[in-house]
Amino acid sequence: MSPLKALIDFFDVRLGVREIYQRELAGYLLPRRVNIWYTLGSVVLTLFIVQILTGILLLIYYVPDAEKAFQSVQYITDDVAFGWLFRMLHAVGANVIIIALLLHMLSVLFMAAYKGRRELTWLSGFILFNLALILCLTGYLLPWSQLSFWATTVATDVPGAIPVVGDLLVEFLRGGETVNNLTLGRFFALHVVGLPLVLLALIGFHLFCVKRRGISTPPFGEEYQQEELLPFFEHEEHPGGTPFFPNYVVKDAAVICFFLAFMLAIVFYAPGLFFPPSAFEPADPFVTPPGIKPEWYFLWAYQTLKIFPSEIIGLGVQIIFMTFLALLPFIDRGAERRPAKRPIFLTCFVLGILLFVGISIWGHYS
Amino acid sequence: MMRLFVLCLGLFTTLTCVLPVPEAAAQQAEETVCIQCHAGLEGSLGAPVQAWRGSVHDRNGISCHDCHGGDPTDFAMAMSPERGFVGVPEHAEIPEFCGKCHVGVLEDYQKSAHGQALEAGGAQCVTCHNSHAVEVAKLDLINRDSCTRCHDYGRAEKIKEILADTDARIKSLEGELERLSELGTNVDEQQGQLFSLRNRFHRAFHTVKIERIREQTGPVLEGLDKLREEIAAVESDLGQRKFWGSVAIALLVVAGILFFLIRRTYEEEEKP
Repeated sequence: MSPLKALIDFFDVRLGVREIYQRELAGYLLPRRVNIWYTLGSVVLTLFIVQILTGILLLIYYVPDAEKAFQSVQYITDDVAFGWLFRMLHAVGANVIIIALLLHMLSVLFMAAYKGRRELTWLSGFILFNLALILCLTGYLLPWSQLSFWATTVATDVPGAIPVVGDLLVEFLRGGETVNNLTLGRFFALHVVGLPLVLLALIGFHLFCVKRRGISTPPFGEEYQQEELLPFFEHEEHPGGTPFFPNYVVKDAAVICFFLAFMLAIVFYAPGLFFPPSAFEPADPFVTPPGIKPEWYFLWAYQTLKIFPSEIIGLGVQIIFMTFLALLPFIDRGAERRPAKRPIFLTCFVLGILLFVGISIWGHYS
Repeated sequence: MMRLFVLCLGLFTTLTCVLPVPEAAAQQAEETVCIQCHAGLEGSLGAPVQAWRGSVHDRNGISCHDCHGGDPTDFAMAMSPERGFVGVPEHAEIPEFCGKCHVGVLEDYQKSAHGQALEAGGAQCVTCHNSHAVEVAKLDLINRDSCTRCHDYGRAEKIKEILADTDARIKSLEGELERLSELGTNVDEQQGQLFSLRNRFHRAFHTVKIERIREQTGPVLEGLDKLREEIAAVESDLGQRKFWGSVAIALLVVAGILFFLIRRTYEEEEKP
């Protein structure tokens, strides 16, 4: 008997792992026409794991103190074995996660996979996306560089536009009138403990929703059938479908490999893509670096605030837009999922993407 | 319940999904009272602020009070001698005025022909570098138009020729260090060394004596050679990183292709 089989037998007689494998992996069937866009969830999950691992390694040497933070990051980059690699993977990984999350959400939108009583799956995913953005924002301050200091100053300034409670909110976020050591402390605590805990819980809930309700069938081809919604819970089965393991997992693995290769390509060939020169200068509260801009995924919001005559209107437009997106499954109640049969949605989808890209480019060059 | 949910989500998005106007940040870095007041004045009282903007001093955070003294935080006491305000220096006082910071240059200047002729109206700092619109020390400051205002260009041209090679090497190293710095490589030490060598080199200019310049340029060139070796070592490290990075990328791409091929074989099996 091989040692591996002996090990599996050991666990099987105690925990019934073969039954779990059969039921949850090999016997778990996905729709036959499941496409490459369905792999993006696994990509995001893998990238989150990379972030957690590299984050733990950075945490060993990072000092969350305004006097020492920048030097500790420099120490990680210059003196710790492979510290530069962990830092770059963590920083570049944050951007790649946002790309993967955006693609994941766009594919779900395009295929209307949020329909068929999958409101909670969409909503938890949408909150996860926002949580990832907050993680990026809180992590941005930690190196205590010129870029991080001033980007956080302008970001935490925004709630100040809210009438009545605006100033209080700004002071609450910063722990004072300006970005200071207390801001660093609370952002650090949020970034490494508070938000990751919420994130892990939400990822668990999101995966539970996906698994419990069942994977949605792609709305393409002759096999597509409009789903009939019953007045009680029903798990969407896919008899004769593709086994999750190993048949589908290899496709997940392939796309994960390509994403990791893309991430490494940025780390080694274009490290300056997400790091302007001000990211390598220590924070100086008395000198504002010229032309400071938010990260690319916030450019649309940044430019929207500038388009309108007052910040509060810009803020209101963003709140309405984000709330509409969050509640889309509750608003879009039609059963039809085929994009070609939903011309109004398709037009809004394409225009929305063009608008996002256009406003972001405008924000970059403004 | 739904209303409460929408309210919470609205608040959530307010706090998280919006960003910022950089102008707001710019406003937070308050300007000194000197600039706030003089920038709005006309004529000779406002002109220095306009001239200073974009100068080498402005770019390096050197403001009015760093040279003229006074209190940059208090409108009432900004120009008070009690707070160290010294106002506008006379022609002959300018070298001492600039020399408060540029100590080495002052020392060499005072021994030079320019320094010796100061009381007789000879060239001093602002003759070549300008006041307020202070120009960075560069070889182009030695030119026919500027030098022939006072004397023949012959010796100045000769000095410029001697300095040209070293100056080009300093500029080249500056560019390389800047590029490495922008990539996130910590070259503070090398930049410090280059700064020191450049200062020694610039000191030599001010003697305006050909033999002395040749004598002082030798050790500077040796230092530059050493620095170039250090930069080459950093470049070599980066090259090695890139090599191993390329290997990792290639392995991931190959793994991705293999996984796709395996998936193809499964698709064959899955056909009804």
